[in-house]
Amino acid sequence: MANPADATQRPPPEEAEERIPIMQHVLENPFLLLFLGVAIPAVFYIIWGIMEIVAIPIAK
Amino acid sequence: MSAILPPSKRIWWKQPLDKIELTWIAIAFVWALVLFFMMPYWHVFGKQNLSNEAYRISAENYQKKAQEMVDKYTVRTETDQKIPVAHPPAGSDVYLIARLWAWWPILELENGQSYRLHLSSMDYQHGFSLQPSNINLQVVPGYEMVVTVTPNQSGTYGVVCNEYCGIGHSTMVGRLYVVDKK
Repeated sequence: MANPADATQRPPPEEAEERIPIMQHVLENPFLLLFLGVAIPAVFYIIWGIMEIVAIPIAK
Repeated sequence: MSAILPPSKRIWWKQPLDKIELTWIAIAFVWALVLFFMMPYWHVFGKQNLSNEAYRISAENYQKKAQEMVDKYTVRTETDQKIPVAHPPAGSDVYLIARLWAWWPILELENGQSYRLHLSSMDYQHGFSLQPSNINLQVVPGYEMVVTVTPNQSGTYGVVCNEYCGIGHSTMVGRLYVVDKK
C-alpha cells in the first residue's frame, strides 16, 4: 500500500522518463478541472442559449 | 485513508478498473441515456416539447392581431363575461391571449382542418395545457409562439393554465370547441 514517505521523494529513475497520459494530467489538475467545470456549462447552456434567444425573429 | 495520499504508482491511469466500479458507472450511464432519449420520445410520441415557431412581439401588437380575428369571426358570446367565440376559417391563423387570469377568446375549430395557433401573454408567464389531449406549451409575454394544430376529435376541450401566474392561477381555465365540418 502507499508509503507516506514516498510522497516527498522524487519518482524512481525508470518512471521519470515514461510519459504521463494526457487524461491523467487533466484529472490531476484541480484548477484545469475547475475551469472546465465552469466554462463548458457556461458555453453550452448560457452562451448558446443567449445566442438562440437573440436570433428569434420579430413577428410580422 | 488512501484517498488522501498520492497514488502508489505515479502513472495510475493504466490501473485496471474494479468490477464494481465498472458496474456502477455502467448503470449510471444507461440511466443517463434513458433520461436523454425521453426528451425526443416525448417530442415524437408524447405531444410535449413541440416544434413551435417563436417570434418577438409586443403585447399591444399581439392584442391587435387577436382582436382582428375576433372582430371578423365571432359567432356568439358565452358565459357571464360575454367571452366571444371565434370561428376562423380552416387553415388560417388563430390567436389565443393568455392574461391574468383568463384565456381569450374561445376558439371554435373544425375537425380535421389545420390551423396555426398563436399564443402570447399580456403580462406574465402562463402555461397552455389543452385537456384532455394534454398538449402543453409555455406562453410568455413579449413572444408569440405558433404551433400548427389539426384537431382530430370533435368536442369541448379545456384550456388550463399550468404555469403558476398569481393568486387567480387556479381559476384560469378556458374553453376550446372542435366541431365537425358542416
